Amino acid sequence: MRRIAPAFEALSRSGSGAYVPYICAGDPDTDFTLELAKRLCNAGADILELGLPFSDPVADGPVIQEAMARSLSAGFKVAHVFETISSLRRAGIRQPIVVMTYFNPVHKFGIAEFCGRLASSGGDGILVVDLPIEESEDLERSADRNDLDIIRLVTPTTDDRRLRSILAKASGFVYIVSVAGVTGAREGFDGGVSGLVGRVTELSKLPTAVGFGISNPEQVRRALATGASGIVEGSALISSYSSLLGDRDQALRAVERHSKSMKDAASALKA
Amino acid sequence: MTRAGYFGEFGGFFVPEILVAALKELEREYERQSRNPEFHADLDRLLGSYAGRPTPLYCASRLTDRIGGARIYLKREDLAHTGSHKINNALGQALLAKRMGKRRVIAETGAGQHGVATATACALLGLECEVYMGEVDIERQRLNCYRMDLLGAKVVPVKTGTRTLKDAINEAMRDYAATSDHTHYLIGSVVGPHPYPTMVRDFQSVIGIEARRQILADAGRLPDALVACVGGGSNSIGLFHPFVNDVDVAMHGVEAGGKGIETGMHSASIVGGTDGVLHGTRTRLLQDGDGQVSGTHSIAAGLDYPAVGPEHAFLNSSGRATYHAVGDDEALAAFHLLSETEGIIPALESAHAVAYAATLAEKLPREAVVIVNLSGRGDKDVSQVAELEGRT
Repeated sequence: MRRIAPAFEALSRSGSGAYVPYICAGDPDTDFTLELAKRLCNAGADILELGLPFSDPVADGPVIQEAMARSLSAGFKVAHVFETISSLRRAGIRQPIVVMTYFNPVHKFGIAEFCGRLASSGGDGILVVDLPIEESEDLERSADRNDLDIIRLVTPTTDDRRLRSILAKASGFVYIVSVAGVTGAREGFDGGVSGLVGRVTELSKLPTAVGFGISNPEQVRRALATGASGIVEGSALISSYSSLLGDRDQALRAVERHSKSMKDAASALKA
Repeated sequence: MTRAGYFGEFGGFFVPEILVAALKELEREYERQSRNPEFHADLDRLLGSYAGRPTPLYCASRLTDRIGGARIYLKREDLAHTGSHKINNALGQALLAKRMGKRRVIAETGAGQHGVATATACALLGLECEVYMGEVDIERQRLNCYRMDLLGAKVVPVKTGTRTLKDAINEAMRDYAATSDHTHYLIGSVVGPHPYPTMVRDFQSVIGIEARRQILADAGRLPDALVACVGGGSNSIGLFHPFVNDVDVAMHGVEAGGKGIETGMHSASIVGGTDGVLHGTRTRLLQDGDGQVSGTHSIAAGLDYPAVGPEHAFLNSSGRATYHAVGDDEALAAFHLLSETEGIIPALESAHAVAYAATLAEKLPREAVVIVNLSGRGDKDVSQVAELEGRT
């Protein structure tokens, strides 16, 4: 069952942008992740991106690096990500869930086995940050067999020829990287990304979500003004709770406040 | 090679999309320049008049007598400018960066030798230079940090992860993702995504090309064996590659056995690792059952890396080269042995190769010839060794 395309279709009918929060599984433990995911979905997350931590996250800035380190040092295992997704489904969470990770944990687990477990636990898609189209044939085969979408990143430095090749292998939605660099909150918003959103929508019917550096409602509005179908945020969301982990209720309330403001900005836009 | 950047099943191009355009540009430009006689003339001129090439191939008679077996030759990369083989690649890539119109160069360094070589090449060519170095390595290689500083480079301390070479590479890759329009990432070993393993090998092959010519002139024949230490594997691939088709020449790579493979405190990714993907390449990797990269240990900062160049992983699986682990204590003993018998203080990295060569030479007849790559000099390690041995 594919949940991602229908989710975007429904948003498009209601004229809102998609709010896609990223959280790091197991940060600081799986209980917190489960509670956090439920609150985010109740606060209006349209799709959930669940990060599977890796020891050497070269595409991530300090906030997500630290979240991954907290998770791994607490003993997070790859198999826990599937258990987390199953628990969320049992708890009635219906939003599409995309696992975002790096290649080595997937490679070590076994690509076919990983995709099988992801699908059977109730996951909908996979995004492997360091697996470009040149290297992703095995993943494509396994994802296809398990009816999983493969989310692809495109960046401001991706030329048209490559963009076409990437889009031909993308499904679910296209993740538009808004800046050259790694994940992490940034001030302002690079309007140059609208050119990239335009190029993608010209070449593909897939919905688009802008991410990397989106941290406040103003940036959400500006990102959606480029014509994108949604936004992804990770570092700002994690920062909204990471310093409050001593009091988990307070941490969760802080995330909810933050996420509601982001969701409101995303829904208001196309109205 | 079936696909670009592959050595058998190893190698490849496992990078975030944000790096793809820069790496493709690098691949194109490197291919273009490697066919350009003018580029080679520039590089050869610098390697000769600036870096001091060719380095000597020295017959270590006193060491040979002490061991009492095969004749041991040392390829004296320690005599190259900046004190190690790293200058060969640093000059090559810095010239390339210049031709690509980049104004800034970044690098990672473990022992500091590659950092110093890069800082040197950048000073020479007028390029801005920043070197990422793990805090643990800064602590044990203070002298090299100061050398980089003198050369006008900025040393950026890396506080993440294990705070060693692996994490310095992570930080450099993050920098490159944001700056590749004006910055070249000058990787110091035969690791990383395509085209680095091939390009760095080509720049380091000067070691083996010279050694082959020199041994034919001196001994009148090819050696029986080559021995070199392997961290990422640049000095070893540089020595090995020009001999790959000489099937009677055995090739021995020596990894850091640290405190012993069974203790888990080592950096021997071929001897003690499994198939994995790190820093853009599929290779042998030290990792746990979940694919998380393990912490490593070696007395030699320059070998303290959990992966290895993909071409070594291939030479190992094809059986063309064999790989061994030498521990901290054996390397230290060899550090003293070479200093005392030959008046040459080797880098702790190279001391691993000397240690294995001694064991190998002992088993071979006197007519046999072994070449050891003495990849660097040991000045940088003197204070660390003095401290370890309680002499400070």
